[in-house]
Amino acid sequence: MSKTGTAIARGPAALTKRGGRRWRLFRGNLDMYLLLLPGIVFLLLFKYTPMYGVVIAFQDFNIFSGISGSEWVGMDQFQKLIHSGDFIQVLVNTLLISLYKIVLLFPIPIVIALLLNEVRKMFFKRTIQTIIYLPHFLSWVIISGLFVTILSPTGGLVNEMIQAFGGHPVSFLTDNHFFRSVVVFTAGWKEIGWNAIVFIAAVAGIDQEQYEAAAIDGAGRIRQMISITLPGIMATIVLMFILRIGSLLEAGTEQILTMYNPLVYKSGDVIGTYVYRMGLGQQDYSFSTAVGLFNSAVGFLLIVMGNMLSRKFLQRSIW
Amino acid sequence: MRSKTIGDRALDTFIYVVLVCMGLMTLLPFANVLSKSVSQEWAIVSGKVGIYPIGFQLDTMRYVVTNHQFLHSLYISGLVTVIGTLGSLLVTAMTAYPLSKRELPGMGVLIVLFIFTMMFNGGIIPNYLLIRQLHLIDNLGALILPVLVSVFNMLVIKSYFESLPVSLEESAKLEGARNYTILFRIVLPLSGPVLATIGLFYAVYYWNDYFNPMIYINSTSLKPLQLYLQDIVMNADTSSLNQSADDLMNVPAEGVRAATVIASTIPILLVYPFLQKYFIKGVLIGSVKG
Repeated sequence: MSKTGTAIARGPAALTKRGGRRWRLFRGNLDMYLLLLPGIVFLLLFKYTPMYGVVIAFQDFNIFSGISGSEWVGMDQFQKLIHSGDFIQVLVNTLLISLYKIVLLFPIPIVIALLLNEVRKMFFKRTIQTIIYLPHFLSWVIISGLFVTILSPTGGLVNEMIQAFGGHPVSFLTDNHFFRSVVVFTAGWKEIGWNAIVFIAAVAGIDQEQYEAAAIDGAGRIRQMISITLPGIMATIVLMFILRIGSLLEAGTEQILTMYNPLVYKSGDVIGTYVYRMGLGQQDYSFSTAVGLFNSAVGFLLIVMGNMLSRKFLQRSIW
Repeated sequence: MRSKTIGDRALDTFIYVVLVCMGLMTLLPFANVLSKSVSQEWAIVSGKVGIYPIGFQLDTMRYVVTNHQFLHSLYISGLVTVIGTLGSLLVTAMTAYPLSKRELPGMGVLIVLFIFTMMFNGGIIPNYLLIRQLHLIDNLGALILPVLVSVFNMLVIKSYFESLPVSLEESAKLEGARNYTILFRIVLPLSGPVLATIGLFYAVYYWNDYFNPMIYINSTSLKPLQLYLQDIVMNADTSSLNQSADDLMNVPAEGVRAATVIASTIPILLVYPFLQKYFIKGVLIGSVKG
C-alpha cells in the first residue's frame, strides 16, 4: 500500500480526484497489465496488422517491394472487380448457396427441437441426440471423404440406388447441376442436429404450467406445440436468424475447398474460395484483397444492422 | 396421465418415425464407408457394398494404419492440438482475467478492441502476407499463433470469472497476494468446468483445422492429418502413400480411401463422450451470455 502513496506523489501535477483514483488503480495492479501482455501482442500482431494490410487493396502490390514500396492505384482494383464477370458469378454463387442453406436448413433444427420435446422415452431421446450431434465434430475433410465415397459414380451407394430404380448414374461432384445441392445437403447433414441444441434448451426453459393449463382447456398436443412451444422459443429463433444473416456471405469456404474441383467452379466458386484461388493460386494479391475487403465490409454492415434489429425487437444486443 | 387417443398415438408414431429416419440418415454414410473399408476392392467398384462388408478383409485397414505418412501426420496433428490447446487456454485465461475487472483503467477500451475483431477482419491475403513476413510458412507455429486466442472463447471465460464470488479474491488481496497469484492459485482452480469446455473447443478446432495448414504448410513432413486425408480423398492420389509400383497393383484406391476416412474418424469417436458432455454446456453458456 505504501507503493500507491509514492505513485500519487510522482503522478502528474494536475490530477483530478477521479484521475487520481484511476492512476492508483493502474499502479496498484501493474501485474494485471503484465498478464494482458501476450493477449495484446496477439491482438495487435495477428488481428490489427492484417487489418492494416488491407491497404494493399488500394495498391498494385508487389511482394518484393512491400506495402511501403508498392504503387497506390486508388479504386482501380474495385473497378476491376465490378467489371469482372468472374466476380459477378462468384457473388451469385455465394448468395445462392447461402440463401439455400438459410431457407432449407434454418427451420429444420427448430422442427427437431419441437419433435424431441414430444418424446417421453428418455433413452430414445438421448440416443437420437447422440447420433445427430456427432457429424458436427468431424472435419470437413472427413465429411467430404464420406460423401465422395457414397456419391461416387462407380459403385457409390447413391448411384447404385439410382440405377436400381432405372436411372442413369450421376457424377454429383463434377456436375454443375448438382454441386450446389450437394454442398447444401452435406452442410445440413453435418450441422442440423447440432444447431438444434440452442432450440432444445429454449424449449426446456418454457414454463410447464402453461401446458397443464392448455390441456385443461382441451388443447391437443399439436395445438400446444403451435400455441405454446413455438411462441415460447420465438425470441431465440429471431436471435439465431439475425446471427445467421450476419454470415450471409460465408457460404462455406472450408467446406467447398474440400469438395470442389475446376469442373464445378462455375456453380461452386464462392467469395472465400475465389479469394484463395486468385490470391494464393495466381498471386494477384491486391485484387484478391479487394475482394476480401468487399466481403469483410458487407459482413460488418450485416452484423451491425442485425444488432440494431435485435436491440429494437428483442431489447438485447448481440454482443 | 390421461389415456392416449388415437390421434396421440398417430402423432407419436409419426414423430418416432421421423426421428429414427434422421438418425439412420446420419449413420448411413458411416455404415457404408466402414463396410467399404473392410471389403474386397472388386465388390466396392462393382457397387455391391451397401451397409455390410462383402468379402471381409482387414488388409486395407492394416495397410492404411501402418502407413508411415499416416502415422506421421497423426503425430503432427496431435502435437499441434496439444501445444495449441495448452497455449490457447493459458493466454485466453490470462487475457480474460484482467478484462473481467471492469474498474481497472483501459479495460473497457480493450474489450471493444477485441470484440471489433469478431466483426471485421483483414481477410485471407493480408493474413497470409503477415505469416510470410514472419517467416512462419512451413512452420507449425503458423497453425497455432494466428489463432491462439478466440475472442468468443475469451468472452465466455471472462463472463465465468465475473460470476465467481469476489470475497475469495478480496481476502487473498488483503493478505497481500498479487493478482497473478490469485489467478493461478484461486481463480483457475475454481474454473475447472469452463476450462474443460473451452479446452475442448480449442482442441477440436486445432484437430479439424484444414484451411490454415492448406495455406501455410507445403512440406510433406509437416502435413497434419486433415491435409494428408484430403490428398487421399480428392486426388485418390495413392502416390502420397509412398509406395512402389508393385504395391499400387495390390492396394486398391477406393478401399484405401474408405479405410483412411474411417481411421481418421476414430480419434474423434474415442473422445466423443467427453465432447458431447462439455460442448453442450459451452454452446449454452455462449448463447446465453452472448
